[in-house]
Amino acid sequence: MVAGLGLSAPPQEEENGMKRIRFTPLFFRRVHKWVGLVLGIQFILWSVSGAMMAFIDMTDVRDQPMIAADPLAVPGLLAPADLGIGEVESLKLSMADGRPVYEIGESGSLRIVDGLTGNPVTVDEALVRQRATAMVDAPIRAVSLMDKPNLEAREFAGPMWRVDFGDAEGTSAYFAADTGRFLVARGDGWRLWDFFWMLHNMDYADRTSFNHPLIIVVGFGVLFLSGTGFYLLFKSFTRRDFRWLSRRRAPGGRTTRALRN
Amino acid sequence: MKIRWPLFVRRLHKWLALVIGLQVVLWTATGFYMVVIHIDRIHGDHLVRPVERLAVDMVSLVAPGTVLAAVPDASEVRSSSLLDRPVWLVTSPGGVSLFDAGTGERLGLIDADQAETIARSIYTSDEEVASVSLLQEAPMEMQGRKPPYWQVTFDRWDSPTFYISPESGELISRRHSLWRIFDFAWMLHIMDYDDRSDVNNLLLRTSTWLSVAMALSGAWLLVWAFPRRRKKKKTA
Repeated sequence: MVAGLGLSAPPQEEENGMKRIRFTPLFFRRVHKWVGLVLGIQFILWSVSGAMMAFIDMTDVRDQPMIAADPLAVPGLLAPADLGIGEVESLKLSMADGRPVYEIGESGSLRIVDGLTGNPVTVDEALVRQRATAMVDAPIRAVSLMDKPNLEAREFAGPMWRVDFGDAEGTSAYFAADTGRFLVARGDGWRLWDFFWMLHNMDYADRTSFNHPLIIVVGFGVLFLSGTGFYLLFKSFTRRDFRWLSRRRAPGGRTTRALRN
Repeated sequence: MKIRWPLFVRRLHKWLALVIGLQVVLWTATGFYMVVIHIDRIHGDHLVRPVERLAVDMVSLVAPGTVLAAVPDASEVRSSSLLDRPVWLVTSPGGVSLFDAGTGERLGLIDADQAETIARSIYTSDEEVASVSLLQEAPMEMQGRKPPYWQVTFDRWDSPTFYISPESGELISRRHSLWRIFDFAWMLHIMDYDDRSDVNNLLLRTSTWLSVAMALSGAWLLVWAFPRRRKKKKTA
């Protein structure tokens, strides 16, 4: 090993009492050591979480129940004007639970009315259960109303229903409280993946951001770990290290004996 | 044979680094890029105006049920606007069709002029449009999204590009140089050089575990890397 190179450096210091930095292999080795000491844990966590995220099958993580878009049934459909719908911000007509429904956006919120009767559709536990049963083929364990999203449904906003299924994956499905629209389903595969994603993005509270000061500072520091390490590769190998290669290649050469040392 | 652990681990660390070192440099460098530039900027949020929901009076519009006759297998009708004109967007397995919500008339596909006008109306800056073209083949940066679509590029250093659906006139995607660099960094990060999307590829799986082994052997070496200080502490 060539670590000795740096050790023999003459003590060239005393410029304003400060040691002048000499860019010797020893210096880079020291940087590598100290950055490793301070940020090594995070480098290990990045490697482990990266390895786990590469290992966990992404198709399982992203898997969502199929929702068929039923063709609209027009007979008996009432026009918005007939339903007393006047000035609105948005209007959407689609099928839900076998009936045409209007989704009306007014003053920043959504409500739904039955397209055949004009009656408002209340999104209650019974409706959510019905939709959940039609979607996932597993018994429902629990249904609860949340007034704000949890970590699993963090991509969405507003109050929502959570339906827990008794399947092997421990699936939870989320439905918007205002329209009953299916939002997302999460299972144990996603939960495991999300834990490693948290370790990777270092956003331990919200798990979403990877642009926060902590990760920027640590990421900057780790550049010195990898940079010096890469540089040291060129200083750490000697011709001797590669002798086994040429020996093996030699025609009729002796087979390599067990590594000494 | 007695194994001299510090020497063995040092060699292990060295050889693992020889195999995986370049990729580790790429991981840290690309990771740093992705961390430093905010993801909202990468997504191009600064390029587009927030959508203003204009109030529309349903009484003055053609009822959504009536436009359905023209698209029998439609699954959804949704209100929208096309250059300040209220429209019905009808979704069916065949795609999306547009109807003038005032007259009920079916609108044709968006043409180049309309695409350019739409792009200008969304764009937050005021550079000139550099090019408008109808793509029949998905460019790399559209990540396999099904063409055709209008590609409108603005004349700026980061060539902001909007992709607009010819069927609905809606903005499908926006791209700019920082996004393109991010995508390249992402490719290097996940080591999927073909599609830039498969995070479960064998190369990445192997490399990441090699990196774990390298990191752990490095951590183990730290114990031996500060010998004098350790002794001092013990005697103190």
